Amino acid sequence: MNYQTPALRRALAADYAIGLMPAPARRRFEQLLVDDAALRSELAHWQETLAALTEALPERPVPDRVWHGITARIEPQVLHVPEKRPFWNWLRLTVAACSIVALVFIGALYNRDDARYSATLLSTDAKPALKVEAHADYLQVEPLTLAAVEADRSLELWAIPDGGTPISLGVVPVGGKGKVELSEAQKGLIGKPITLAVTLEPKGGSPTGKPTGPVLYQGALVAL
Amino acid sequence: MMNGTSPVAELACEQFEPRRRALTLVWRMVISIADTDQLRQLLAQCSLGDRRAFETLYRSVSPRLHGVALRFMGRADLAEEVLQESFVRIWHNASRYEAHLSAPLTWMINITRNQAIDQLRKQRERPLGEVEQNALLDESPSAHEQLSSAREAHALKRCLETLDGMQRQSITVAYFQGLSCSELAEHLATPLGTVKSWIRRGLERLRRCLES
Repeated sequence: MNYQTPALRRALAADYAIGLMPAPARRRFEQLLVDDAALRSELAHWQETLAALTEALPERPVPDRVWHGITARIEPQVLHVPEKRPFWNWLRLTVAACSIVALVFIGALYNRDDARYSATLLSTDAKPALKVEAHADYLQVEPLTLAAVEADRSLELWAIPDGGTPISLGVVPVGGKGKVELSEAQKGLIGKPITLAVTLEPKGGSPTGKPTGPVLYQGALVAL
Repeated sequence: MMNGTSPVAELACEQFEPRRRALTLVWRMVISIADTDQLRQLLAQCSLGDRRAFETLYRSVSPRLHGVALRFMGRADLAEEVLQESFVRIWHNASRYEAHLSAPLTWMINITRNQAIDQLRKQRERPLGEVEQNALLDESPSAHEQLSSAREAHALKRCLETLDGMQRQSITVAYFQGLSCSELAEHLATPLGTVKSWIRRGLERLRRCLES
């Protein structure tokens, strides 16, 4: 159909406005209206004309119930809270509690100060003498069969990279049990293929930064 | 009070209409439905979710729309339903009102008419009870007849008088009963083409007359 003829557009708008069109034609016309501002304006004129037919109708007072009905329809609906269901509430609480426990447990596992590397240092006659566990920030040292050390001597722990020179990790605590804190540089050595060695040094460790005494024990640091 | 009012008279008015009352009761305010600018303003406020504006609009326009709804439905309970549904639509669709196209009242009357016709069509789809059958057959008073007692709408009255009887009747029935063309032809016991041309010519004449 040619909707471009002004007379036809006007006639169709009139048909639509008064409601003569069958449903399919109505839908087609509504499609046209979407993009055709002039057609919307044409329709509006007809609607204005037709609304005049109601001008003479008397006004009628409206009972209050109509307004109540309207507000009930347009007011934001009160959220429907489902009735309490004890079993589900109990289940929800249990699930929540279990999740918390699980989270705490996993968190603890994560944060647990696990030793990541370990070495068992052997004496020259191949007896386990000292156990060293490398944690993130420190070494945990434990004596196995540690020879007695004179009071003016210290045992010093060294890291020896493959084919490299020994780097001091610090002095083994008196009695052989305790922590040896690691500096940032020392932490960098952990995880690399290194051998740990213990030398007998003057009290407080080698004054030169290099081993001066005999190597008493040694062993490779391996990942756990 | 607009022009030529003496200062004395203005003062007297202020005393009789205390400002405080006007402020506290502002949402109870009823404006004249003839005040197109005000209605337009209220619709704009409704589109922004202003409930007080909506209540003012309702109090101003609902008696008018109630009269319209009753004319369509012919029964008080059905008219109230239509009125209620229409205002729910007005509230939700206020942002879709196009001020440059139509007067606010026309837009709202149109919504009411669409609601009413939807209801009438639903009723027609199910088997009619005897009362409803009679209501449909019964020629409701034409707009022309109703006008004889109306103070307003002189232009409409004059224009409707320029139409011939069948043009007037077919337009009135089509408008107020929402009959499709074929239903209308059946209702008026007249060939389809004839009814269509009555309506088209009648509408054309009516519009030209109203616009003149």
